[in-house]
Amino acid sequence: MLTLPHRPMRVAAATALTLIIAVLIAAVLWAILNAATDASGGSRVDIAHLLRMTALQAGLTMVLSLLVGTALAWALNRLRFAGRDLVVGLFAAAIVTPGMVVAFGLLSIWGRNGWINQASEVLFGIGFESPAYGLSGILLAHVILDGAFAGRILLARLDAIPQSRLKMGQSLGLSAWQRFALIDWPALRGSLPGLGAIIFLLAFTSFPIVLLLGGGPANQTLEVAIYTAVRLDFDLVGAVRLALTQIGVCSLVILLASAFTPVPSALSRSTQPRWRDSAPVRVLQWAVLVLGAIGFALPLLSVLYDGLTSGLLRVLGQAGFWRATGTSIIIGASSALLTLALALMLALGRSAAYRQGARVMLGIPAFAYLAVPAVVLSLGFFLLVRTTGVPVGTAAPVVVVIANSLLSLPFAIATLGPPLDAIIRTRGKLIRSLGLSGWTQFISIEYPLLGRDIGLMLALAFCFSLGDLGVIALFGTQDFQTLPLMMYRALGSYKSNDAAAIAALLLIFTIVAFVGLPRLIERISHASRR
Amino acid sequence: MVKASSLALAVLLAGLSGTAHAQDKPVLTIYTYDGFASEWGPGVPLKEGFEATCGCTLNWVAADSSIGTLRRVQLEGDSTEADMILGLDTAIAGEARATGLFADHGLDMSHLSLPGEWTDAQFVPFDYSHFAFMWDTDTMDAPPSSFEELIALDDDIKIAIQDPRSATPGLGLLLWVKAAYGDRAPEIWEGLAPHILTITRDWSESYALFLDGEADMVLSYTTSPAYHIFDADDHTIKAAMFSEGHFPQIEVAGILKSSDQQDLARDFLAFLTSKEGQANIPTTNWMFPVVDLEAELDPAFQGLPQPEKTLTLDEAEITANLAAWIDEMLAAVQ
Repeated sequence: MLTLPHRPMRVAAATALTLIIAVLIAAVLWAILNAATDASGGSRVDIAHLLRMTALQAGLTMVLSLLVGTALAWALNRLRFAGRDLVVGLFAAAIVTPGMVVAFGLLSIWGRNGWINQASEVLFGIGFESPAYGLSGILLAHVILDGAFAGRILLARLDAIPQSRLKMGQSLGLSAWQRFALIDWPALRGSLPGLGAIIFLLAFTSFPIVLLLGGGPANQTLEVAIYTAVRLDFDLVGAVRLALTQIGVCSLVILLASAFTPVPSALSRSTQPRWRDSAPVRVLQWAVLVLGAIGFALPLLSVLYDGLTSGLLRVLGQAGFWRATGTSIIIGASSALLTLALALMLALGRSAAYRQGARVMLGIPAFAYLAVPAVVLSLGFFLLVRTTGVPVGTAAPVVVVIANSLLSLPFAIATLGPPLDAIIRTRGKLIRSLGLSGWTQFISIEYPLLGRDIGLMLALAFCFSLGDLGVIALFGTQDFQTLPLMMYRALGSYKSNDAAAIAALLLIFTIVAFVGLPRLIERISHASRR
Repeated sequence: MVKASSLALAVLLAGLSGTAHAQDKPVLTIYTYDGFASEWGPGVPLKEGFEATCGCTLNWVAADSSIGTLRRVQLEGDSTEADMILGLDTAIAGEARATGLFADHGLDMSHLSLPGEWTDAQFVPFDYSHFAFMWDTDTMDAPPSSFEELIALDDDIKIAIQDPRSATPGLGLLLWVKAAYGDRAPEIWEGLAPHILTITRDWSESYALFLDGEADMVLSYTTSPAYHIFDADDHTIKAAMFSEGHFPQIEVAGILKSSDQQDLARDFLAFLTSKEGQANIPTTNWMFPVVDLEAELDPAFQGLPQPEKTLTLDEAEITANLAAWIDEMLAAVQ
């Protein structure tokens, strides 16, 4: 640890940001309690039951997603084929697509009237019980979203394994299993706890999917109960109590995840040598990939198919669509940049911290948005904005950008944290001996090496914001409308064809951003290295 | 610390609010639910029509849900910008009235044409429809004609409904079952449970499940088929008429006591319930108008079957028992 360069400003900045986020959350809860006029109605929610069901669902989602993600990353890392980048982009696009779009895509494949059931009825004359509803439906949808995302993040770690290690392994003639255990696993291990925590929290707080596919009150999350308290019962004290429960459970998960010391992982993409596994293993890899494609890509392809064959031209002819596209791009770009700033502050501070305790503490704010229920956060923001006297309509874009940035922050940290740690651990000594200033260290060492990761992070944050329906639904107005909100409104006005077309276009934008942004940023950062 | 963060936020926001526009015309601000103010909703033509004569600016402010408008005004208290709330329905009118925020409208409502006479002093209705289950003639031979017939169908026949805690149609179904069956309501819900494909948060999601063929029936409105007839001359989607009678959703608007635009607000309500104002409603909100539009009513609405019996519940009874009824329903379908 003595090799770490001394960077008190980085730690101080990250600590300040952590405090600001903590104060913001406290202020949100305080504002709600302050607005609660009467302590009416005790909560009618069976919290213990909800917690049990939600934890079970989230735990299963996490384990399945990590397994599926690892298998996908493994297969994709080994195989080279035309269209690989597109497949990678499509997989990663799942998590940032509005949950509802993915859920409906899933249904058009796996649903009661989905492609698979229809095919089975034509071929065998019988349908089957659709797995898309109830707990299995929730898990299926979550694993599609989160498993593919995990695959994308883990693939980046595998692609970053240095050439030298691979050459050494190849010359030692490692078997496919030894190669995974000795070379891949150490590269993956560091990312798993953080990734697992993110997936658990996402599933724990997932709102639209659980409600759409859950089948009823038996499968519900705490968020539903909180929504009820805020809206129907107007029991604000109860809402804060439920929110604190959720924050408590989520903090526990976060602390557990942070307690695992991250293993330094390799950085930067290397041009990996051709090292094919043996033929049977390659068959397995193709099988994983094909299964993944059926599971993940088909639902998204069906979204594209439905959208591009229905109201596409009508939607493209609407002025409202282009306004919403403009708004979405501006909001997405702003929150991507804000996310980058916040994530760099936190990740740089974290990688410069000496003590494990400080590292854990600086890791927590990343999860703020996942732990605090969106309904509570938006209500609190609304009340805070009012105390400033600014019209809510004026503040809405700013609040949406801040909320979207907080939403993307855990993913940003998961992307930037491991490579930053790796840089410090592998080049800390060098940096110290050269006596580089913090700024020079960032500009001439970290930034160029991080290029691709920063691009991936910007793409993630941009697409999250592009696909967000939770935040915007609570703050949008008729003049301030993003594409997902327009899609949802079309659905609410019987215009399901328009909604399908917008969903498809959203998905296309997402994939383009996902494939394009990392390359663009990598090119820029390499250019800066001269 | 809170003040400091508020201050920081204020400074941040001040930079963005540079486009403050000078207003010499009076402004009427109306809080409504999202769909009403959307570009496809009635908000757009109503604003145009009213602004043509009022010499004022009508400002729609959309909240995420109709109950959201009420909660927002409650949170804002006397400092609210809203002059009026539009889009509450008869199921939550009692709760809204109990807040004491609404002023008497003082308008003559005798020209209205609704199921039942309208005598409310605070709330003015602007459209209505009855809750009903939709079915598709392509996939179903004959629809059930009562809750009991629906329950008796094969368990393979699935319905999509909405959560009464988040969607007004979901709440409507709850009240419908209660009004039709009273103390037998839990029994009906238990019977429905095996048929429930899923309970969605909003109407949009369950209706989409129905259109995609995932659900055989969906809880919606007797006026929903009008959209499909109007849009593509599609007559395959129909409302199943139940012999128990149907519970109506009547959407209402009310002027807030705190408003400094009482006269303007009253003028708007008069416009909203005039033939001219009402003509905008059917083909944008897909509900029946509250005045008889005669030949002006779009043909898509003309032939729609209407329930023989409109069920009602006492407003005070709803307000007093709603929480218990919701619990009763959730326990029965669990």
